[in-house]
Amino acid sequence: MRTFLATTLIVITGLLILWTSTDGGRAFTAEEARRLDVRENPRPVPHWQLENQSAEIITVNNWHGHFIVVDFIYTSCPSVCLILSSGLRTLQKDLADKLENSRLHLLSISFDPEKDTPQRLKEHLSHFSADLRSWTASRPTSPSQREAILDFFKVIVIPDEYGGYTHSAGYHVIDPEGRLVAIFGVEQLDELKEYLIQALNTENAPQD
Amino acid sequence: MLLKIKQEWLPLAAWFILALPPMQRFLEQSMVTHMLVQIPMLIIIGWMIGKTLPAEWKAKIAPWNRWGITGMALTIVIMAYWMLPRSLDGAVSEWYFEVLKFITLPVMGIALNLSWPLLNSIARGVLMLEFWATLMRLGWLYLDLPDRLCANYLLSDQRILGQLLLLGGSAYAISWTLRIMFGTKIIKA
Repeated sequence: MRTFLATTLIVITGLLILWTSTDGGRAFTAEEARRLDVRENPRPVPHWQLENQSAEIITVNNWHGHFIVVDFIYTSCPSVCLILSSGLRTLQKDLADKLENSRLHLLSISFDPEKDTPQRLKEHLSHFSADLRSWTASRPTSPSQREAILDFFKVIVIPDEYGGYTHSAGYHVIDPEGRLVAIFGVEQLDELKEYLIQALNTENAPQD
Repeated sequence: MLLKIKQEWLPLAAWFILALPPMQRFLEQSMVTHMLVQIPMLIIIGWMIGKTLPAEWKAKIAPWNRWGITGMALTIVIMAYWMLPRSLDGAVSEWYFEVLKFITLPVMGIALNLSWPLLNSIARGVLMLEFWATLMRLGWLYLDLPDRLCANYLLSDQRILGQLLLLGGSAYAISWTLRIMFGTKIIKA
């Protein structure tokens, strides 16, 4: 009888723990967890000072009232950043009207500020034929800020075996009120586009 | 007497060595050593603690753990929890997950030590088979997945772990088969 009671208790608590620690079976990996978390709890993005490709100091507040799509890169990246950035290029092409109406901005943030000088950032942008009015590349202005930014977005960067980095890759969406509201994976470019179109249209509706 | 005391302190000493921050960092910098060295060692430490537990404690636990069922349930819950990629990532990035790991895994080892000998032989067979299947399934999964499961580890690490799991699983299956075919004595000899 005591065995039965103890076992039942352990099984029930165990299932509850597993249930809550996977957000109800929805997030088994840290990446899934961070995406789910921002969807359910949008967080205001702090106004870090970033240096852009023209060596000017900017903050995300510069585009208050815009949707901002943020990706994290380092310019010597041979793999996933290239996919991310060509994704942004696709957005630049497909959502040109939104970008022109100053409703949407693209922002690449480098997590390798030592190597990624404004010059390198500029080259990165021209490599993806970026329109500088709607696509900005930037780097953190201090190591502590780099940590704070990565921490806020829960982007984990680890050195790889080729002297580069492996990092959490995704498109981070900041809404017009300056809150981080969604994260899309590299493979979810179409969903991201759909999301932006819908968000920009609903935002438009009351004004029209 | 001296030898006995020594034996009891050995697992605790091993636990402290594993908990030293440089040791932690060393074992956790790769997914392979994290999952195939540190975690199994913490469970073995628990198993050894379980062995040296005073008899009166064991007598008190026994009525709550008839046929070893309660202990096995606890073992399975703890094992399932640490098989979540999220938990492993958590242990690398957040100190409280790490503390949880260093406590729950030895507890799992203790539970396993107290319960395994009591377990019905059919239940043992099922669990061993399931454990083997888990090794093979995870090994295959890690080899096959194009994406990383843990944000703190490289894809190449995940692949190596997959290979090692398949290798370990195969060795386990072969030793098991030999045992069934030729009896226990050959393996022990």
